Amino acid sequence: MKVIACYSMKGGVGKTATSVNLAYWAAKSGLKTLLIDLDPQGASSFYFRVKPSSKQWAKRFFNAYENLVKHIKASDFENLDIIPAHLSFRNFDTLLAGFKKRKNRLKRVLKGFKKEYDLVVLDCPPSISHLSESIFIASDLVLVPVIPTTLSERTFEQLMAFFEENDYPQNKIVPFFSMVQAQKSLHKATMEAMSARYKMFLNMVIPYSSDIEKMGVYKAPVDVFAKSSQANYAYIELWTEVSETTKKLV
Amino acid sequence: MNSLPVNTWEFNEGVKNTDILSAISSEFDTEINPATTSSLQFYDDFDTHLWKANYLLCQVNEQKFQLIDHSGCINEVRASSDARFWWEFSDSKVKDKLQKLVGLRAVLPITSLNLIEIDFSLRNGDQKIVVKGHLTQSMVGDKVTCYFTLQALRGYAKYYARVAQLLRPFIKVKINDFGLRFLLMGQDIQAIEPKQGIPLSLTEDMRTEQAVRAMAIVMLDQAGLHVDGVIADTDTEFLHQFRVNVRKLRSLMSLLKKALPATMIDTLKPRLSSIASKTNKLRDLDVFIVAQDSYRAMLPANFESGLSELYRLIGKQRQQEKNKVARYLSSNDYKTDVGACAAELSLNATFQTPMALKPVLQVVKKLLLKRYHKMLAMSAAINSQSADEKIHELRIEFKKLRYLIEFFVDLLPRKRTGKIVSEIKKIQTVLGDYNDYCIQIEFLNSYVDDTRVEMSKALSGLIAILYQKKTEERPKVESALAYFFTENMTIEFDLVFEAAETGDSK
Repeated sequence: MKVIACYSMKGGVGKTATSVNLAYWAAKSGLKTLLIDLDPQGASSFYFRVKPSSKQWAKRFFNAYENLVKHIKASDFENLDIIPAHLSFRNFDTLLAGFKKRKNRLKRVLKGFKKEYDLVVLDCPPSISHLSESIFIASDLVLVPVIPTTLSERTFEQLMAFFEENDYPQNKIVPFFSMVQAQKSLHKATMEAMSARYKMFLNMVIPYSSDIEKMGVYKAPVDVFAKSSQANYAYIELWTEVSETTKKLV
Repeated sequence: MNSLPVNTWEFNEGVKNTDILSAISSEFDTEINPATTSSLQFYDDFDTHLWKANYLLCQVNEQKFQLIDHSGCINEVRASSDARFWWEFSDSKVKDKLQKLVGLRAVLPITSLNLIEIDFSLRNGDQKIVVKGHLTQSMVGDKVTCYFTLQALRGYAKYYARVAQLLRPFIKVKINDFGLRFLLMGQDIQAIEPKQGIPLSLTEDMRTEQAVRAMAIVMLDQAGLHVDGVIADTDTEFLHQFRVNVRKLRSLMSLLKKALPATMIDTLKPRLSSIASKTNKLRDLDVFIVAQDSYRAMLPANFESGLSELYRLIGKQRQQEKNKVARYLSSNDYKTDVGACAAELSLNATFQTPMALKPVLQVVKKLLLKRYHKMLAMSAAINSQSADEKIHELRIEFKKLRYLIEFFVDLLPRKRTGKIVSEIKKIQTVLGDYNDYCIQIEFLNSYVDDTRVEMSKALSGLIAILYQKKTEERPKVESALAYFFTENMTIEFDLVFEAAETGDSK
């Protein structure tokens, strides 16, 4: 079982859209996939029409894998299950602060899924916190959507620095350009500069697309309602590239 | 891991899909996929090896077959519609499995199934799929049966329970283990019915003549079951099994002749001998053709053309011989002979000999002891210089001994008899291998023809190799005999088959 986190400390960069579409294509490729929506906003759960339990269960999240299992829900698609987010997940940092060995908590609970799933996709909230550090340790690959703007570039640099300072392996970080508007010269220039500086950027870029925005209207991955769109093609290719990268991981 | 309910129900007769869907759509949005229709042709061999091993072989189109195991796992294979033998399927897991399960048997169509299937999903108020379902309509002749499978989804079990509740008024019965096998079991498929026509029930105190008559009728009947397959030349096993049953019948007559009236022996012996002899040549040719690959592997490539010439000749002879056998088995002569045998066996017992009146188990045990001790003496006379005929005679004795045990195995102590039979099988393999080399050499010798140079070269090559193998096999014969005929085995025979005192074979 591999764990892929869709992470950025910046909001609105396309983490949820990426999590939803990658999990969808992973499942479609035959991998038993579990998407865990860690963002209390619950956007990826919403895209799959999955409602969370009415009970506040965040405080049990990190105790044992069995607590998570109870909250798994089938998506509408073969091989894809979801643990929907709950508003109480906003307290994850406070909860983790109270644990010993908090950084390993997430990794420990996820271990229980290895018999049932080939892939776990984590849709992460935008922050850099105890939860984020648990995510960095639990994940085999930290997929980072980067909008090619100055601010995003700065955020990405901060992430790289954070990994270095805390001795987290930087090779887990796999960035790709998101919400790209090719006609904008700033986007083009930033992409060129960042690609030259950080060789780990994936080749595929996700365009800025109204079809991706429409996921909220259709409450479904792009493939379901815009099969022939450029955005759908981009997610297919992104999954292919991510999947190849994942296979190379020991 | 959660195990989610998946259940199938049969609906009451007359219930339509629309009735079901309107019941469900009162509470759920129903999303129905287009119906798929399929006409599946199922195959098995005469002995229904696939069915018995929980497999289904199904032709899905002109180029493709599927082998479905007990868990529903499907393996596909390409083969033309007229593929009948395992070697006619393309290299695959299916081919390997067929080789293991049906061997030399041909697979033939046994039945077909016409299905209409519809997948559908039920959505709740949030437009989330909460239950999945599958409608199956099976059509056999004019009869249409509807089945409904509901699959619960993880996290949505309460919706599953609700749908099941809505459907309750339409349900006739819950089906366990629903699948193609279940649907086929609902049909009256003659091909998968047990083949034995006449049941045999022996008791240990049955009088010997009566027991032999009852058993002989079953054997004659069993042989007859294979006649159509021989005439149609469906596969070589039909002739083989026909001959096995005739041979067993002849052995039974011969082993227990003292319990039978002379008129019966006079009627059956020449007729059965004639029936068997008329099929000898075809069987020899079949054996040689079946072993073709191993013969080809024995010789270097430069013998290939000679060997191919030989196989062309043998193939032609087989065709002629097969027609001859088919004509014979369709003839009035054959039918009259079999009819005479059946009529004779069906007569009431006449008890003309003292043995005829004795309880069969007592007679059989005595006979087994007698034969064993006779074979022990024959074995003692065999050494490295003994003629092949002597080994052949002993091989025949072993065959008769095993037949005699197997004929009456239900009356004998199961466990200890089983161990003896297993030892007999081992020595039969060694003796059989040795005999096969002798027979093959003789068979090939009969084809040496100076006017066919290449073919005769290949024959000489094969004969030389087989002779070498035969020579290597010979010491194994003596070792196997020494291994079988031990003091312990003699004691075991005496104990199991109850000699008056150990060593007494009278």
